[in-house]
Amino acid sequence: MIRNVDQADVDLRNATYRTFAELGRAPTAAEVGATTGVGEDGVRAAWRRLHEAHALVLDDAGEIRMANPFAARPTDFRVQAGGRSWYANCAWDAFGIGAALHVDSRFETHCPDCHDRIEIHVRDGQPDDQSPVFHVLVPAVRWWSDIGFT
Amino acid sequence: MLLFRSEAHVDRWLAGREPGATIPITKLAELAAAWWHDRLSSDWQPRSREQSQAILDRLGLTGPFWSLG
Repeated sequence: MIRNVDQADVDLRNATYRTFAELGRAPTAAEVGATTGVGEDGVRAAWRRLHEAHALVLDDAGEIRMANPFAARPTDFRVQAGGRSWYANCAWDAFGIGAALHVDSRFETHCPDCHDRIEIHVRDGQPDDQSPVFHVLVPAVRWWSDIGFT
Repeated sequence: MLLFRSEAHVDRWLAGREPGATIPITKLAELAAAWWHDRLSSDWQPRSREQSQAILDRLGLTGPFWSLG
């Protein structure tokens, strides 16, 4: 178990993720509370511990910002899978939504250099267009120093 | 963590900045499957740093750049 996070927090994290997937957007503390029977203050306290353990990411107001691979805010990675859509945090996460749902998926983004639209269909885990490349600017040891930038 | 048309586009975008790591999109797909497949599992448990590092190692993503610390 990661530091300061117990099984109750993990259960609440799992409920948060499940609700995010079902709603197609980040759930509120009240929505997670309604599915878990935990009061809103209890949800927020658990979210804070999970944030500190890098199990999800909160914004400055304490709302869900990222439940990787899902993004709470619009990004340049719009993913469609299983008849629903979500935003992903990055290209890695864009593949991750289909992987987490265990379904084929499709996502759109733009080349940061030329701004051309890139559309990828993922079938059985494989991208249909294999010409793009993935670039990671920040070394792994610093990914969580600024997860938004990473 | 961005997707580019090609390595030439990465180079132009970097404009002289220190590059990170560039991998094929097929490797990214493998990485995402290994990294995220259990995220919605009802019995999900947090991974240790060692377990995460093992995923990177297994995919050949090794060396200082890919070290989680």
